[in-house]
Amino acid sequence: MALPAEALFIIDLLALFAIYVVIAMSLNLEVGYGGVPNFGKVLVVAGGAFVAGWFPGRILALVYNIDPSIDYISKNTLVMALINSHLKTDPVMALLVFVVTLCLAAAVGAALGLLASYPAIRLREDYLAITLTAMGELIKIVGYNYIPLVGGTLGIQVPDCLAFVGGEMRFTFATLIMLGVAAAIFLFIERLVRSPLGRVIRATRDDAVAASTLGKDVVGIRIRLLIVGSAIGAIGGALYAFYTSATIASAYNRVDWTFWPWVMVMLGGAANNRGAVVGTLTFVTARKLITFYKHEIAFLFPFDVAWLDFILFGLMLILLLMFRPEGLIPERPTPTIGRRRLEELMKAKAE
Amino acid sequence: MFSPIFRDAVIFASLISLMSLGLTLIYITTKVSNFAHGSLVSIGIYLALTTSSVWASNPYYCLPLAFGFGGLASLILYILILRPLSRKGASSVSLIAATLAFDLILLASLNIYADYLTSVYKISSRAFILRGVDFKVVDQPGIFLVAPTLVFTIISSLYIVLTRTKFGIAMRAVVENPQLASVMGVNTNLILATSWFLSGGLAAMAGVLLPLWFMVSPDTGTSMMLSVFAASIVGGFSNIYGAALGGYLVGLTEILLTNFLAQNVGSWMIPYRPAIPLLAIVATLLIAPTGIAGIDWLSKIRRMRVRLFGPAS
Repeated sequence: MALPAEALFIIDLLALFAIYVVIAMSLNLEVGYGGVPNFGKVLVVAGGAFVAGWFPGRILALVYNIDPSIDYISKNTLVMALINSHLKTDPVMALLVFVVTLCLAAAVGAALGLLASYPAIRLREDYLAITLTAMGELIKIVGYNYIPLVGGTLGIQVPDCLAFVGGEMRFTFATLIMLGVAAAIFLFIERLVRSPLGRVIRATRDDAVAASTLGKDVVGIRIRLLIVGSAIGAIGGALYAFYTSATIASAYNRVDWTFWPWVMVMLGGAANNRGAVVGTLTFVTARKLITFYKHEIAFLFPFDVAWLDFILFGLMLILLLMFRPEGLIPERPTPTIGRRRLEELMKAKAE
Repeated sequence: MFSPIFRDAVIFASLISLMSLGLTLIYITTKVSNFAHGSLVSIGIYLALTTSSVWASNPYYCLPLAFGFGGLASLILYILILRPLSRKGASSVSLIAATLAFDLILLASLNIYADYLTSVYKISSRAFILRGVDFKVVDQPGIFLVAPTLVFTIISSLYIVLTRTKFGIAMRAVVENPQLASVMGVNTNLILATSWFLSGGLAAMAGVLLPLWFMVSPDTGTSMMLSVFAASIVGGFSNIYGAALGGYLVGLTEILLTNFLAQNVGSWMIPYRPAIPLLAIVATLLIAPTGIAGIDWLSKIRRMRVRLFGPAS
């Protein structure tokens, strides 16, 4: 059964949305709720993707007793074909490896976030922005040149953990799983920002001096925030690697994985989880439509129209910052216990 | 006479110095980290290419034009985007985001221009180098002489302007205390606009000189920003002379150390060259976050003298 083109378009759109919303929500947690300027989001996204390229294939090659004399990197296509043929009949192992990889990606992302922010977290925001940007550039260079990691310039394949589904349903299934992961992360962040820790995070953002006079460890909270945000961002990177069944270092550039998420967060509204979702959906849809209709206008210009994309969204971010800094959905005070519970308590008190 | 690697290092360090000077000037006057500084450099790169390939002239002649163009682009960023933003009370994070967006717009425009040059004039506009059109002094390339001389000239004229002229003193007053300076009748807006123009102009001038020695593309300026930020941070991000010195320190170290490692450890080290400025940033932030300019060298020397030779009688 072949899916119609419209359905494929929407499925691909939702898959991209699920990946990007995870990253946008993690960025929103850092920038929006915590006021920590992470201009190096690509660092942890690449970190997560590199884990997905490095770990599951190697562990599955061990599990399925694939001849170790076949070189994992140079004969990658062969090794992957063998692994995927095993995975086709072994859904339990496939899902287990998928979950373990996501956890490992989160751990590596957290470590990278801590390591990258440690030198500058105590200093002015500008220094943190500069160091994180620099670290984001460096990881691409490492991935590109250290071939055993993710195959260098040629990249590497990622095992198809949904091989047992097969056919066109694979993409539908993959999209559903990723949307599920995104929903779980959404609920986690909602809980986090409503918790006492969430209120401290916002307090350190609004007035770091006031928070520290009340005995709050501002630097400690910022570090924790970056660790959590980086772990989530790395999950997004690993999901992208699984979805495309490949990791290639050159794909992890600062425009795609730092700048676009920033536009999504600012578009939807900083310090607002729903805003991040709306912003991501709007942005991903707009870009997908542009990519889809791009070739229809391409003949009008004597240059690659992809550059107009940059100008359009660059201008959009500037205009947003100038004329609607609160985004589509502005930040609202987050009730500690939810409105219904609050009303019940008020009623009980009145009686 | 001079080893080629030494020439590479001096030219690179001089240009980094020039860029870091402008970046630090903006930071101390306006308190903005300008992430678009790299694309201002690339404006100069493409002016040099246009001058040499389209107008068939020597790229050195377009230095004044580059100063004007780069300055203008920088001024647009400040007057149209950053000043209204900061008047609305935008945080420094929003200002950085705005400069990043501007960088992206400039980068895309330069790429469009590069495509245009290739399709209309049939010249290679990416990964190109203009070493062939440079002049020679005895047996040395002109750029090897021009780049350090330019840095020296600019630093000394800035020193004279800042200490000997009324405008320069007003500028220093704005850096020290903008409110007080404007109360005293200093035109703060004019001073800030001038410093943005100057910063962008210097960046584009560095851009004109780049292709005379190095291979360049539209994103060359942006990718050099890591070294420029490292130079500024090593220099202290608080003092233009510190920035220039930091530029030489980081630039020379980056080239000479990479070369040393490539020869002694293995050529696989070469691609990891950006790790050197990054380590410079990390080390400075961890050990002496105020950089070279922030350390009180005089009292350090005095204390060392006391420790070595006993208290002066």
